[in-house]
Parts: sequence; C-alpha cells; structure tokens
Amino acid sequence: MTDDKDVLRDVWFGRIPTCFTLYQDEITEREADPYYLLLPRVSYLTLVTDKVKKHFQKVMKQEEVSEIWFEYEGTPLKWHYPIGLLFDLHASNTALPWSITVHFKNFPEKDLLHCHSKDVIEAHFMACIKEADALKHKSQVINEMQKKDHKQLWMGLQNDKFEQFWAINRKLMEYPPEDNGFRYIPFRIYQATTERPFIQKLFRPIASGGQLHTLGDLLKDVCPSAITPEELNVSNGVSDFINSWLFSVPYITWMASRG
Amino acid sequence: MGGGDGRCGPMSDGGRALCDTLFPAVDVLLKAVGDTPIMRTKKWAVERTRTIQGLVDFIKKFLKLMASEQLFIYVNQSFAPSPDQEVGTLYECFGSDGKLVLHYCKTQAWG
Repeated sequence: MTDDKDVLRDVWFGRIPTCFTLYQDEITEREADPYYLLLPRVSYLTLVTDKVKKHFQKVMKQEEVSEIWFEYEGTPLKWHYPIGLLFDLHASNTALPWSITVHFKNFPEKDLLHCHSKDVIEAHFMACIKEADALKHKSQVINEMQKKDHKQLWMGLQNDKFEQFWAINRKLMEYPPEDNGFRYIPFRIYQATTERPFIQKLFRPIASGGQLHTLGDLLKDVCPSAITPEELNVSNGVSDFINSWLFSVPYITWMASRG
Repeated sequence: MGGGDGRCGPMSDGGRALCDTLFPAVDVLLKAVGDTPIMRTKKWAVERTRTIQGLVDFIKKFLKLMASEQLFIYVNQSFAPSPDQEVGTLYECFGSDGKLVLHYCKTQAWG
C-alpha cells in the first residue's frame, strides 16, 4: 500500500470551498455576513461547522436559536452523509464556492436526523465502520481491536489527523494472504436521479474464475442503467456517483484492475 | 407489517400499499437483549422499504413503550444501522436462511 499513500492522502485532504449564508427569514439583531470555510470531503457537516454556528449565533437572540441545519437550493443536507458525497450529489456541476444556507428553526424532521452532540456523529461513524467490516471480515478485525483503537479512528477523523487515522484503518484494509481480497466489498452507490436512497448489495472482489472484479464489473452488476460514458466521470477512474464508504473500499484494487 | 409467516398486513400509512407489490416483504426475526421485554410475535414480514426508525416505532408501540424511551437495533450483534436505513438492504447484505435477525435493546448493547 506504500505507493498508494499519495492517493490516500489526496482523498483525505480533499477540500470543498464553501460559503455559508444565513437563511433570510432567521431573525437577527444585525446583518449577518456570509462565512467561508474549506470543508473536508471525508468529514461530516455537523463535525466541522462549530465556527459557522458561532459566527451566526453572534447576531441572533438566544431564543431564536435551536438545532442548526443546512440546506442547498431547497434541499436539506443530510449531515450523516460525508460532505464530499453531499457535494457530488447536489452541486458538483455548479461553480465554486458551494453555497450552503444555514437554518436555526423549523428543523425538517422528515428529511434529517437530529444531531444533538458530537457523540451522535461518533456513534454513526463507528456504526459505518462496523458495518463495512462486517462485510469485509465478518467483523473479525474491528472486534479484535481495543476500544482505544476505535477511539483513535474517531479522533483521527475529528482532528483531521491522517497518520493517526490510518495507523488503525490500515488494519481494516488488510486481508489474509491466502485470500485474494475482502469477503465482500462494502460499497454504496448514490444517484441524484432516483428516489432510492442508495444501492448496497453483496459483491465479491474476486470473480468465479479467479480474476479481480473491476469497478466496471460492479456497476454492470448492480447498477447497469448508470453506465453510459456521459454519466460516468471516467477520467477520474472513479464514478462521481460512488461513495466508497469512507476509505473502506480498496480504491487501489479498483484502480489497478481497471488496467 | 404483518405478523405470522410471510403475510403482509394492512399498513397504517395508506400511501405505502403499492409497496407490497413493488417491494415484496422480507422475513425479520426480532430478538430481545438483556431485560428488554420479549415480543410475543417474533417473526414478522416487513416491507423492504421500511426504515429502521419505522421498525423502532412499531416495536415501541407493540411493547407499549413510551415514545421518549430509547430502543437500539443491532445487526449481527455487531452494529447499529442508521435510522434511515432500509430493512430490504440490510436483508440483502446480512440476511441468512431466508431471514434477517435483528436484536433490540432498551440500552446500548454492542456500542
């Protein structure tokens, strides 16, 4: 994996320049300036926007402020989706910076999960890691880790510490030499064009003949309607519509296999 | 959701009736953890598009728990799926022997 560290770093340090504007109907004591921030693609909105919250709360009365939520062109943004996924899904074809509207009232119960504390984000993040490992290793690797290792994964993400995160995550990316890969590839395919939340199915990394499956094989199998050259951003080697589930997918297997 | 074996009962949300034909139900086996009350009917036919939150609401009503009480659901006794996750997807990925086994608990069991 040493050659691939560059790719892993590029993924980790990906940023989206964003402009946060307060919703016009929020009641303020004075004009609220927009707030600019570089958002990490791999993180979550509610984890990285404390400064945004503080900035806007400065111009509002205490009683006008309840749980913060974010919206893009009328669509509430699900904080429990990685930021990069939200951007790719909703705004990838628009000019930067990404313009997000900030709300402090009328929380859309039907569209969004509540996020009352960082603990909620941590629980969600760890549940995703565990679900991915259930597919990759029948949960063996994640279960053999100590609680402090789990904590280190979370702290690495929270504090934007690549080395700290990958010291633990690399164990989740390994498999025994006698196997040729994970048991199943943890993936989710999101499409802006459908009502379905996402596609997630069992998919083995190795075909019955012994050859490695490619990204194209995966798409043909689970989402054939998506593969037309116009929809796949082939030049990147990875589809805009694919969320590789926070580093749990071996990007490199895909890249190498695409030949 | 319908009780018994494989039958879909009428759903409280009338707009979802079409789901029965488009999205056939999957068998879910509900197992109580710790001193959480045990459901008299454990095996349910659940629409694929029902979410974990929808299932939680159903179990709470069935067990006559208060809406404010917490209920945690676990897959494979190892992870708690997100409230908006669909039962059908979990069945596809984690079902075995034709059913999805879910553990439910009033307190956190497997973190």
